[in-house]
Amino acid sequence: MKNFSFLFTAWIAVWVIFFGYQVSIANRLTKLRDEVERLKQQLGR
Amino acid sequence: MSTARAAAILLTKELRLEFRTRELLNTTIIFAMVVVVLFSFAFNPTPEESRRYGPGLLWIAFLFAGSLMLHPSFAREQSNQTLDALRMAPVSTFAILLGKMLANFIFLSLAEVVLVPVFAVLYNVSLAGVIGRLILVLVLGTLGLVITGTVFSAVSAHARMRELLLPLLLLPILAPLLIAAVEATVSLLADEPVLDRTWTTFLAGFDIVFLSASWLLCDFLLEE
Amino acid sequence: MKTRIAGTVVVAALVIFAGYAALYIAPDERTMHEIQRIFYFHVPSWITSFTAFTVVCLANVAYLLTRQQRWDSLGVAAAEVGVIGCTIGLLTGPLWARPVWGVWWTWDARLTTTFILWLLYVSYLLLRGLLEDPERRATLSAVFGIFAYLDVPLVYVSNRLWRTQHPQPVILGGQGSGLNPTMARVLLLCVVAVFGIMIPLLLDRYRLECLRHELDELRLAVEARSTNSDSALSPATGKDRS
Repeated sequence: MKNFSFLFTAWIAVWVIFFGYQVSIANRLTKLRDEVERLKQQLGR
Repeated sequence: MSTARAAAILLTKELRLEFRTRELLNTTIIFAMVVVVLFSFAFNPTPEESRRYGPGLLWIAFLFAGSLMLHPSFAREQSNQTLDALRMAPVSTFAILLGKMLANFIFLSLAEVVLVPVFAVLYNVSLAGVIGRLILVLVLGTLGLVITGTVFSAVSAHARMRELLLPLLLLPILAPLLIAAVEATVSLLADEPVLDRTWTTFLAGFDIVFLSASWLLCDFLLEE
Repeated sequence: MKTRIAGTVVVAALVIFAGYAALYIAPDERTMHEIQRIFYFHVPSWITSFTAFTVVCLANVAYLLTRQQRWDSLGVAAAEVGVIGCTIGLLTGPLWARPVWGVWWTWDARLTTTFILWLLYVSYLLLRGLLEDPERRATLSAVFGIFAYLDVPLVYVSNRLWRTQHPQPVILGGQGSGLNPTMARVLLLCVVAVFGIMIPLLLDRYRLECLRHELDELRLAVEARSTNSDSALSPATGKDRS
C-alpha cells in the first residue's frame, strides 16, 4: 500500500482523540456522580 | 427619548470624555504606525512588493489597533460603575450600544485619516483619483470592525484576561471582513483602479448582518 | 444500562464495518490510490462538526429565549464535540495533502474556512472558561455563539470568492462531483458511523454538564444548611463544613 504510513497515522490519531475524549468524559462523570451522591446523603440526613 | 436622540447624546458624552485627554486616540495612532513600520523592517519590501502587500498591512494595522482601542470602551464604564446609571436612564439598550459604536467609529476613523497618508508616503502608493472610493471601502470596513468590536468588548468586559480576550474573540470573526477589505483596497490601488463591486457589497452585507444581530441581542449584552 | 451496552455494541459493529468498507470495499481511486481513503473519515468528521456547530447556535438561541440551564449545557457540549470533529478534520487534511500535493498545508477555500471555524469555536470555549458567574457566562457566550454562527456563511463565501480569483493548486478532484456510486455508499456508511460515535459523546458531555450544575446547587444547599445551623446557635459539627 502506497503512503500507508500517512493513512495509518490518520487512523490512529482519530481514534486516540475519540477515545481520549470519551475516557475523560467518563471519568469526570463517575467522579461527579459520586460527589452528587455524597452531597445528597449529607442533605438527606 | 428616541433611540437616535439618545445615541447622539451618548455619542457626545463619549467624544467629550475622550477629547479631554486624547490618550486613547494618540495611543491608537502611534501603535498602528509602529505596526506599519515594523512590517518594513521584518519584510524589507521592494516597491513592487509594497504595492502588493501594502493594503494587507494597512488593514492588519487597523485591525490590531482597533481591537486594542475598543477594550477601554466598556472597561472605563466598569471602574466608575456608570453602566448601572446608564441602564437606569430612560434610554433603550440599543441606544447605549449605538452611542458607543459611533464613538468608536469616529475614533478609529480619525486614526485612519492620519494613517492612510502616512502609509501612502512610506510605501510610495499613489492615492490620487481613488480617494473617494477608498474612503467608501475604509468606512465600510471600519464600520464592521467597530460594530463587532463594541459588542465583543461588552461580552469580554466581565471576563478575566479581557485585554487578551477581545482580540481573540474579534479577529476570527473579522476574517471575512479582512479578506473583503484587503481585496477591495488592492483593486483600488492597482494600475487601473477599479471599485470591486463584489467585495464592496460583501462589506456592506457584513455590516448589515452584524448590526442587525447587535440590535436583536443588545438587551442580553448589557444585563445586570 | 442495558440500552447503553446494546448501543455500544451497535455502534462498535457499525464502526468496524465502516472501517472495513473504507479500506476494502471502496474502489481504488485512480490517481491517489490508498491515501484517498482518508476521505472516508475526513469528510464525515467535517459533516458532524458542522452539524454540532449548528446545534450550538440553536441551543444558544433557545437559552436566550427560555433561560433554561439545559440549553446552555447543550451548547457547550455541542461546541466541544464540534471542535473535536473540526480538529480531526484539520489533522487528517494535512495527512492527506502531504503525500498527494507534497505540501502539508495550502490556503485553499475549504481548509481555510475549517481553520477559521476551529478558531471561532475554540474562542467560544475559552470565553466560557474566562467568565465566572454562571448566568452571565451562559448569556454572554450565547450571544457570542450566535455571532460566530452568523459569521460561518460569511467566512465560507468570502473564502470561495477569494480563492477562485487566484490560481490554485490541484483541487481535490472528484470530491462530490461525479462520485463513483460505491464510493458514495461507503461514504454514507462512514457518515452514519461517525454520527453514531459523536451523538453518544454529545449526550454524555451534556449529562456531565447537567450533573455539574446539580452538584453546584447541592453544594449551595449544603452550605445554606450549615449556615442555618450556625445561626441557630447549635454546635457546628466539623462534618457539615464541605
